[in-house]
Amino acid sequence: MSELFNRRSAMGFTGGAAGLAYSLMGSHSAVAANLGSADIEPRGTDGILERLPNLDLESYDEFSTSTRVWINTDLNRSAERRAVQILRENGLNPREEMPFEKAVSLLADDPVISFRNHAWQRLQMHMWTELRREFYNNYDAYMSEMEAADNKGPGVLEMSPGIEPEYTKHEIHMQPGGYTGDEFAGHLYHYGTNNFYNGQNYQDERHVSLANAVPVPADGKVMRILDAGSSCGQQVVALKKRFPDAEVWGVDIGAPMVRYSHMRAVDMGVDVNFRHALSEETGFPDGYFDIVTSYLLHHEITEEATYQTIRETERILRPGGVYFPVDVYTNPGRRRIDGTGMRHIRDWMTHRWNHERWWYEYQRADFFGEMERAGMNVIEGGPKTQVSSQVSMNGGIANVIGIKPA
Amino acid sequence: MADGNGKHKTYATNFYKTDIDNVSFLGNPHIDNIATTLMAMGNELWTNRKRIHVLESVMRDKGVTADLIEQYEPTDEERARWAKEREVLVERLYSHFARVDEYEFSSEWKDK
Ligand SMILES: C[S@@+](CC[C@H](N)C(=O)[O-])C[C@H]1O[C@@H](n2cnc3c(N)ncnc32)[C@H](O)[C@@H]1O
Repeated sequence: MSELFNRRSAMGFTGGAAGLAYSLMGSHSAVAANLGSADIEPRGTDGILERLPNLDLESYDEFSTSTRVWINTDLNRSAERRAVQILRENGLNPREEMPFEKAVSLLADDPVISFRNHAWQRLQMHMWTELRREFYNNYDAYMSEMEAADNKGPGVLEMSPGIEPEYTKHEIHMQPGGYTGDEFAGHLYHYGTNNFYNGQNYQDERHVSLANAVPVPADGKVMRILDAGSSCGQQVVALKKRFPDAEVWGVDIGAPMVRYSHMRAVDMGVDVNFRHALSEETGFPDGYFDIVTSYLLHHEITEEATYQTIRETERILRPGGVYFPVDVYTNPGRRRIDGTGMRHIRDWMTHRWNHERWWYEYQRADFFGEMERAGMNVIEGGPKTQVSSQVSMNGGIANVIGIKPA
Repeated sequence: MADGNGKHKTYATNFYKTDIDNVSFLGNPHIDNIATTLMAMGNELWTNRKRIHVLESVMRDKGVTADLIEQYEPTDEERARWAKEREVLVERLYSHFARVDEYEFSSEWKDK
């Protein structure tokens, strides 16, 4: 494990001409006035997305997205083709079980596979670096913008600095500082994931479709909803749009994440609430929620945290309430986690080269079993969802649902 | 430059830095660096092309001709600002070659 890194020494951008050539405080768009004069929106919005503050950064980001699509399609296919060839050349069947070390040592230094890993990592690095340069070159302005929103409504923001357990402090996806260690983690994650979604989530399309897929309790009553691991609050906002009369909350352990979510919601004028809290210890009363959702949370937390989260969810759901956790392997794919050569190479790319620190713990977790042990009824053939950002899977695959017995 | 200037309350925690930044994938760190630079070049190239597209469209709407562009003489302020911009671009593109970390090959990477 790497050493604990001090955020203060992690910064180091010199304000370059490129970053300073454009005035942030240019014209304000007429649409969003909720943040007053602190609002940084010099180029207005595209639909619900605030445009990046200058054309160069927007173009840079746009090209990163195109490159990402190429890596996810052509380059990945070539890398996998090479993997199959190499395993066959060594008398191995790629679809059969083999030791992880063997697969990786055979494949790691192949030029195509190596280039794929290189391209993935460096693309991410370029993207994070350029976004971050913008925020740190204009540190005061962006900090003031968040401060202007902290105590504004319609929704509330609840902060608890210092509650972050060690396991949440890793730089997953190589994001500088991770979710907790960079003041602008929310800004970075939002614009960075626009790129992860291959450009298909600029208008929160993925979150809207997930919010629309959420199953409703049998009695139809939906007064309160929680989204755990809410990141930038995109699903929280989408849930509010679907259930306008409900009280909707997001919890996230990244303080900068919830601050950003709250700021964005204030700016959009959407009445949703954010709490800086762990999904395994939310602080809400027993039976408070009708629906609890999560999206791509569990593969980023430890096995134990997953179990605790499931138990906590059962506690805060009311009888008849619905749990809808969406992630890779919250579907029948969970039963296809095996030890074949191809699986190893994919897992290696994800765990090692996308720095998904808890990938194997998540794979190991007995997710559906814990839902049952926690007292939920488990329905495996729930609504279809699209989990992966890489491919659209024929309208998605059936996701699990947990129901707290009435 | 630090993250804070003392004017704002900080919410960022310490964190575990990823070790991935120092891996060499391509057999020789400088090949990695060349590939990294090429990728950055792609982004820069598009960024400029896009700006030119936007400029052409805006100018066309305003009646500005290609000849006016050819004849343009930058002001002193512009010359200085563009020189600074070139400096930043050089840093973005080539700083990777100045990495002095110890490299290890991914096949020998200890923490698999
Ligand atoms: C991959 S992102 C989730 C994406 C998000 N749900 C969305 O809709 O875009 C994982 C998020 O979970 C948060 N997180 C990690 N561990 C957590 C925990 N134990 N409790 C709450 N949030 C957590 C991270 O800070 C991060 O924002």
